[in-house]
Amino acid sequence: MRFRLFALTAAVAVLLAACGGGTPGAQPSASTGPKADIKVGLAISLTGAANIYGPAQQNGAKLAMEQINAAGGIGGAKIALVVEDDASARDQGITVFRKLINDDKVAAILGPTLSGVAAGAHPVAQQAGTPVVAISNTGVGIVGKCDYGACDWIFRASLGEETALPAALKAAKDKLSLKKVVLMFESDQKFASDGAEIFKKAAADNGITIARTIPYKTADVDFSAFVTQAKGESPDAILASGLAGTASKVLIEVGKQFPQGLRVVGSNGFNSPAVITAAGAAAPNMIVGTAWNKASTDKTNTDFVKAFKDKYGSDPDQFATQAYTAMIVLADAMKRSANATDKAALKKALEGTKDLATPLGAFSFTAEHDVKQPVFVMTVKDGAFVPFN
Amino acid sequence: MAEQLYNAIFVGSIYALFAVGFALVFSVLDILNLAHPVVFMLGAFVALFFMSTFGVPAALAAVAAFVLTGAFGIFLDRIAFAPLRRRGAPPLSAMISSLGFAIVVIRLMELRYGPDLVSYPAGSLPQTVIQIGDARLDGLRLLIIGLAIILMAALTYVVRATQLGRDIRALAENPRAARLLGVDVDRAVAATFFISSGLGGLAGALLGFAYNAIYPQMGTPYELKAFTVMVVGGMGSLPGAVLGAYILGIGEIAALVFLPAEFAELRDALAFGLLFLVLVIRPRGLLGHRTADRA
Amino acid sequence: MDAIVDFFRVYQTTIGVIGINALLALSVWLTLYAGQLTLGNAAFMAVGAYGSALLGMRVGVPFPLGLALGAALSAALALPLGLAVFRLRGVYLAIATIGFGEIVRVVLLTLPFTGKALGLNGIPPITELWHIYLSLAVVAYVLWRVQQSTVGRAWAAIREDEVAAASQGIAVRRYKLAAFVAGAALAAWAGGLSAHLNFSIEPGDFGFTRAVQILVFAVVGGTPSVAGPILGAALLTALPEILRPLKEYRDIFAGLILMAVIIYLPRGLVTLAELRKTRRLQEIGVADVA
Repeated sequence: MRFRLFALTAAVAVLLAACGGGTPGAQPSASTGPKADIKVGLAISLTGAANIYGPAQQNGAKLAMEQINAAGGIGGAKIALVVEDDASARDQGITVFRKLINDDKVAAILGPTLSGVAAGAHPVAQQAGTPVVAISNTGVGIVGKCDYGACDWIFRASLGEETALPAALKAAKDKLSLKKVVLMFESDQKFASDGAEIFKKAAADNGITIARTIPYKTADVDFSAFVTQAKGESPDAILASGLAGTASKVLIEVGKQFPQGLRVVGSNGFNSPAVITAAGAAAPNMIVGTAWNKASTDKTNTDFVKAFKDKYGSDPDQFATQAYTAMIVLADAMKRSANATDKAALKKALEGTKDLATPLGAFSFTAEHDVKQPVFVMTVKDGAFVPFN
Repeated sequence: MAEQLYNAIFVGSIYALFAVGFALVFSVLDILNLAHPVVFMLGAFVALFFMSTFGVPAALAAVAAFVLTGAFGIFLDRIAFAPLRRRGAPPLSAMISSLGFAIVVIRLMELRYGPDLVSYPAGSLPQTVIQIGDARLDGLRLLIIGLAIILMAALTYVVRATQLGRDIRALAENPRAARLLGVDVDRAVAATFFISSGLGGLAGALLGFAYNAIYPQMGTPYELKAFTVMVVGGMGSLPGAVLGAYILGIGEIAALVFLPAEFAELRDALAFGLLFLVLVIRPRGLLGHRTADRA
Repeated sequence: MDAIVDFFRVYQTTIGVIGINALLALSVWLTLYAGQLTLGNAAFMAVGAYGSALLGMRVGVPFPLGLALGAALSAALALPLGLAVFRLRGVYLAIATIGFGEIVRVVLLTLPFTGKALGLNGIPPITELWHIYLSLAVVAYVLWRVQQSTVGRAWAAIREDEVAAASQGIAVRRYKLAAFVAGAALAAWAGGLSAHLNFSIEPGDFGFTRAVQILVFAVVGGTPSVAGPILGAALLTALPEILRPLKEYRDIFAGLILMAVIIYLPRGLVTLAELRKTRRLQEIGVADVA
């Protein structure tokens, strides 16, 4: 009797999943037009522990899609964005990628938000021969040399920590002649751990001593003790690698305990207007290597910022900008490829991306499919990111 | 060193403010309320709402947070716990019900405010710094420490010396007997949730002020700490929860200060090792008076 | 036919995870059945996951042997843990096991060969669906038989009243330990299968959230029978995919469904069948149901 009940319920669950999951993404196709829509998947974390960046990424990608379609699409065919949420969970990320590839038959996928989810999802795309452009994974092993073997179908549009952090540190050293620093990092987060290793190497390369390394956890709620510990070493600066929530707490503490100011060279998690607001008066302490300079007077950038503000009522942040850029890079590759939905041709076209004008500056892919773009070392003044020089 | 002690007391006060509400519901009703982090978060957002929409000063906004989240706690009980009590359901079911409730409320808040950090209006938070010799102490944090102590004292007074407190204690002992003896059990339950959630919400508002960055999932890191606090200090004892909170706070920072750098990452393991040890050696915790042998 | 093949291609991971979650839920059910509330099985899952993955990737141990060794390691850890905490009851035991779980997670974050926060990536995806479902069938059958046997009755007696059971000559400590250790081994086996399904594992996969999730599967499914945890795991794992069309409102419905199920069926989904039976018995005046 009980096994029958179980079997029945399992069958029902499976059927429901088939009905629920079998339908293609809810995005309606573009209206009329002789050519079929070109589908592009956007797999991001809209819910779950890592969902802080998801909405911004969605906004950036959508804006790009609309602009491209308004300008005639890809040879008359419109791009349809299929958005799926991975709930910050690896197994959902894998299912989402499979759904996008097999059900929606997308030409390419942007995402996922988290490197931890990418570790599971990217191999799926690699096996299925579908191009992926990572838009926010900044750790090591995303492109080029990947742990799961060949990853030549994976491209990255988000500036890696291995480029950004050394640039920021070098700029700080040149301007401030740093000799002794303290390193703080979020030890249970992959990209922050990567960041710590990158900082250590960059410090060694620049002749800077790390007097003390202080690991903390995502669940740590108060940072006064950590910063006091750092203060004990009388550092010239603090190097910090962590997520946005902890970034603001570190800055606030530094502001309190170092009233005369102390520079904090931060990782990608600091790259957020929310951190500036939260840190308040302590915000100008931060130095961060970013992929994007909002104040750049480059026309591609100013047009983008204005369009974003008009559409969404607020300024874009780096995550939105990287998603936007990935989209226009993809569209550019589609235009250059013989057949926009031929994945192999698209891959080749992506590899050929050279000095494309984007809000991030001139954009190319390296031989390892990593982004090649200028690095902007920024600090904060009057509540906004400004170049550090 | 003294500064680290001050930090430790502040962290202990934070844990105490969060955990005492959680411990109260557990002591009285045997429920592990996994929606407690939610009322904590709601307190911070209620304060934000009043400060940004009506320009209410922070102190008043905190009071509003206390009152409104307290009321919300009663609502939480009605929806998630009361139906289970009526059916004589096992306590685990209540924990799961609160989990479902928490998921829904957090998601609703994310849809309304977005998942990202939100800050209080500029200039609305007190920025006073008190100089004592060499040390610069943050006024707001001193206030939080002071408030934590006052609130714990007030709670202890209510539980020990008032009729309401006696009703609540009778309820904790044996709900059926309490009802037979004329205790208004429903009122006592409502009061328990009001106090628990109100304190939780107030804690959220105060900590929101301290860090100036609130977000719908902000209560999550505190949940696990609350378990540790309750166990170390003693299940079923409110002063125990407070003591446990300060022990945890001081212990965490002592580990930070005294552990050599190579072992720094094991700091967390120490907190749980402590927890584990207490449970195995003295399951009652330091001040607990309920035996660990109650199922 | 094509639709079914497509369906499996897309949802193979979900179907795999349902099976693994069912195994995990059974591992918790096992200890619950013997009256012990444990939240440590996520940690044992981690031991199995890391153990089998490391043995496979670094030492070249064949897959089934790796799984078995992971389970054995887990059992070896569970034995002293079980001995240490066997006096604890209810929530106290739960919290002690949470403590253990967190210690394991921190150790995984610190040991150099576990990859620390990066976890282990590039794990060969050699778990097949039939591995999972064969394991599940065997385990479910064994547990079902055990439930009817002397051992099962002893566990039920211990669960009802430990003191009374002891006075009847039941070796309480031995039986409790057996359930605890068996649960740990089962969780580790599931962990090994899981690690080789999703290419990568990291310590955060095995924390407090995971432990609570497994417990929820078992309790929502229901503890009277073996079918309960399987049902609970199947429903709650499939739910996010079923609710996917709801997009950003998905979690709201998931939370509401969870609340509704537990409030109307506090002892689990399987009690639905029992409810009808007892109601009928009540009608004819035979059963006196509380």
